[in-house]
Amino acid sequence: MRSRRFSARQSALFLSLLGLVLLVASRFVDELRTYQGAQVAVYVIAIASIVLLTGYSGQISLGHGAIMALGGYGAALSFTVWNFPFPLAILFGTFVGTVGGFILGVAAARLSGPYLAGSTLALAVGLPTLADQFHILGGEQGLNFDIGDPPHWVAKLGGANFTQYKWFFWITTIIALFTIWSITNLLHSSFGRNWRAGRNNAVAAGLAGINVPRGKVLAFTVSSALASLAGGLFGLLLGLVTPTAFPLSLSFAIVTGAVLAGVGSLAGSILGGVVLVAIPELSGALATHLGGSQKVTANLPGLLMSSLLILVVLFMPDGVRVRKIK
Amino acid sequence: MFIDTLLIGISSGAIYSLMALALVLVWRSTRVVNFAQSGQAVFSTYIGYEITVRTHNYWISLPVAIICGALLGSLVDLLFMRPLLRRVKSGPIAELAPVIATLGLLGLLQSLLGLIWGNAFLQYASPLSAKGFTFGSHTIPFSPQNLFIVLASALVLVVFGLIFKYTDLGLALRAASFQPEIAQLAGVRVSRVRNIGWAFAGATGALAGAVITPTSTLSPNSLDLLFVSGFIAAVIGGLDSLVGAVVGGLVLGVGFSFILQYIGSSVTFLVGFIILMVVLLVRPRGIFGHKLGRHA
Repeated sequence: MRSRRFSARQSALFLSLLGLVLLVASRFVDELRTYQGAQVAVYVIAIASIVLLTGYSGQISLGHGAIMALGGYGAALSFTVWNFPFPLAILFGTFVGTVGGFILGVAAARLSGPYLAGSTLALAVGLPTLADQFHILGGEQGLNFDIGDPPHWVAKLGGANFTQYKWFFWITTIIALFTIWSITNLLHSSFGRNWRAGRNNAVAAGLAGINVPRGKVLAFTVSSALASLAGGLFGLLLGLVTPTAFPLSLSFAIVTGAVLAGVGSLAGSILGGVVLVAIPELSGALATHLGGSQKVTANLPGLLMSSLLILVVLFMPDGVRVRKIK
Repeated sequence: MFIDTLLIGISSGAIYSLMALALVLVWRSTRVVNFAQSGQAVFSTYIGYEITVRTHNYWISLPVAIICGALLGSLVDLLFMRPLLRRVKSGPIAELAPVIATLGLLGLLQSLLGLIWGNAFLQYASPLSAKGFTFGSHTIPFSPQNLFIVLASALVLVVFGLIFKYTDLGLALRAASFQPEIAQLAGVRVSRVRNIGWAFAGATGALAGAVITPTSTLSPNSLDLLFVSGFIAAVIGGLDSLVGAVVGGLVLGVGFSFILQYIGSSVTFLVGFIILMVVLLVRPRGIFGHKLGRHA
């Protein structure tokens, strides 16, 4: 694998080019596709958080939807109630999620496989309902998170007909690419090596002087930071955050995306993001083609997604298993 | 008021116990937490629902649902879990593969149910009244259906207790989960015994679904929260212990009921999460778990 690695500068160049192409391309596609592109970007960040956590640190979380909710609510609260400018609001949401992730990570580092999965699942069920408890979080109506039209200078840069969706696409794509770049570098640093070492053989890693539990807490915290960043952007796309915007199925979806992409690679998370957005779209087309009823339309995406997940786990366990350290 | 809350707690606790029991049965036999449990249970419940639609008789549908649950559990083990465990044996995150695979199965079962019956809320009717018993002028929130839930759960627990304690099958089940290799050498057909464990678990989950659903509505996701409660209950009890699952379920049921009564519904699952964390961090083997049982 080492031979195929790009240097930090090369990958920065590549990702900037990709970003530029995408931004220019966004001028030529219709509104719906632009919005879906923004969704892909948000999913990519969320999936990257699971790739980092599961692929590199060997922990699992079925509760990252709840962490996303922390990020979304943090952002919306600071934006709507305290009138933060929206970039600062997203950062504040990320901060809230990071703190929450750290607290959870301290507990998570002591749990293994199924226990961690079950506990985070309980969190995913429990946390979003908490929003009903506090008046300031807006109860079931949730909080508004409408950043309005793009500022003047961006609209000028984006050319004529620069709509809000295009603006969303720009924001999310730039953040997603920057995130991928920084996480790639992080994973290639000593942090990433220590995480993988701790995952592959905790005892040997410990003997080599690596503090494995601390590494796990750190991985969970960084992963939560990513998830809550994705959560804030998710709220941005929706224009509001509600308790039901972060359902259990969201947590499952991002885990599915990470597994489909093969949890070992960050580049795969881009593929995972595309799949998560494409499957509902494709199955919608398929359902219409089949002349299906409402039942088919509602359940075909889930059916395809789950079948794909099962097939990948059963027949491509290498997609699940991570490459060995060279 | 106190007695009312306690009774509701016992009724929901009985259901949590059943769900926890189903998880424990699978965990003991295969060392897998079956995240598809609620999917299997709701699948069998739909079968039961279909039977009541056709025969208008709840008492026929109940055993059919349970048998379907057992068959489904056995099939899941044969067609799904065994190939998976054979294929994904090693590798640093091999322990996560069953979690991910059972989640996939959960999604598959639920979307299949949605395809067949739709996602609307259905009414799975029981002949037992859902109105509380009345004493003089006071109506308690404990209905004949609740009583039936408690009795059916208790019966299942007694039957399992007897099977595990006094029959050869029970001995084989215990041996296969405690020391699979030695049990195999002693002539226990471990894989078949494990399959029976899955069937028992499926039947237990199906019973839970079929008795609880008449008190609310039926939809592909209607048992998801029950699974989470069952998991918490099983962990409180120690995931290894049948008695622990029952006690854990009752403790959680009564606890939730009092929280619901005196604090409010929105914090229940968060409290559940906190209980779970405290148990896992303070006493990882649970109240009744084996000493060497797990490295949480």
